[in-house]
Amino acid sequence: MDFLLELLTALSSGLLRTVELIAISAPCGIALGALLGALSIYGGRILSSIVKLFTAILTGFPLLVTMLLIFFGLPEFGIYLGPTESALLSFVLCSGAYISQYVKGAIMSIDEGQSLAARALGMTRAQEVIYIILPQALRRAIPGISNEVIYMIQYSSLAFAIGVQEVYSISKSLNSIIFRPLEIFTALALFYLALCTLANFLFKLARRRLRVMESELP
Amino acid sequence: MLRIEGLRKSYNGMEVLKGVHLELREGETKVLMGPSGAGKSTLLKCVNLLVRPDEGRIFIDGEEVTSPKVDVVRVRQKVGFVFQEFNLFNHLTVLRNVTIGLTKVKGMSKEEALRRAREVLEAVRIGEELWGRYPAQLSGGQKQRVAIARALAMDPVLMLYDEPTSALDPQLSKEVLEVMKELSRKGVTSLVVTHELDFAMEVANSLAVMSCGLIVEEGPPSEVIRNPRSSEARRLFCRV
Repeated sequence: MDFLLELLTALSSGLLRTVELIAISAPCGIALGALLGALSIYGGRILSSIVKLFTAILTGFPLLVTMLLIFFGLPEFGIYLGPTESALLSFVLCSGAYISQYVKGAIMSIDEGQSLAARALGMTRAQEVIYIILPQALRRAIPGISNEVIYMIQYSSLAFAIGVQEVYSISKSLNSIIFRPLEIFTALALFYLALCTLANFLFKLARRRLRVMESELP
Repeated sequence: MLRIEGLRKSYNGMEVLKGVHLELREGETKVLMGPSGAGKSTLLKCVNLLVRPDEGRIFIDGEEVTSPKVDVVRVRQKVGFVFQEFNLFNHLTVLRNVTIGLTKVKGMSKEEALRRAREVLEAVRIGEELWGRYPAQLSGGQKQRVAIARALAMDPVLMLYDEPTSALDPQLSKEVLEVMKELSRKGVTSLVVTHELDFAMEVANSLAVMSCGLIVEEGPPSEVIRNPRSSEARRLFCRV
């Protein structure tokens, strides 16, 4: 029991850093994904081509490579980011690129009548996308987005590679000192499981609350 | 109120409108009938510029709306459009469906928009118990009446109806037609594409028959229906 308490105390700073990474990068990644998804459809030829190239690159690079490029490569261009900032930026860019594909698919699945009705009311294209199309598309994209956030929770451990003191990094260091791998990595696994379960629960809750529009006549 | 001169529109080389002329005075209701593919829906979509005509001119309230200088968004605010498939915003409640145009497009305050929504929803007989429901929780007739309320709320100078009852069964059609009749009697200027002869006979000031992208006959509904002059109108009214 004493060991468990000591273990949790030792891991707590890493736990907080991991939660911080996810809590910042998940909403930013979703916002970026929504923006890129909308631009890929409504952005015109030039913007949608840029978005296409951006997503092709970021979904083609492994997250670890993106992170290393941002942390070690950007200083070559005079841009210096700390380990946490570099990890956050790479999580946001990578998840944004994947989420944009879910959002794009969801926008394309919205009935054209919704867009016609918005325009008939006198909405501008921007109002139509912001108030009518995106809210419906994001609801449809929730299952894909929730998968992406779960991946992000799991991949957050890669941030150790650039020196972020997140929970995996702390566990690894702790194990090299006290060598209790079973207890330490079981605790680590349970932590990731709890975080993924919580994210799943929140997305399920969101889906249930928003499902009413799909329901039939009572 | 509405004057259309020589309107032409083609899709991929196929001419859908071949020089349509039409006039509608303030407070009048004109019914447009014709077989499928005659160009009725395209004509309505040209009037509120959802579709850009290739040639011809459209005047609404004396203003040429087909002029390239005209602000399309402002023109659409002046013209209410009711679709065959309702096209209510699925993610919004009945009340939000009606108020969203008022707050986001017209810039009304929330209170003002709610007051206006209350007026129009009552006018189309949508009771308060339905205001919090989503479109998927309404019957077809209720959906179409909400769609009419949404268009009316914007205070348009002209209402366009594109076969508003063709997706409804006779009972639900009746509910919608009653509301449309009431609005026409109140002097709401309307251009209605429909196959409802009773509606045309009872409410419309004139009836135009469209065929192959042209208006082939026009006159008082009773005259056009009972004594059609053109072969297209004769074929249409024998079938209806």
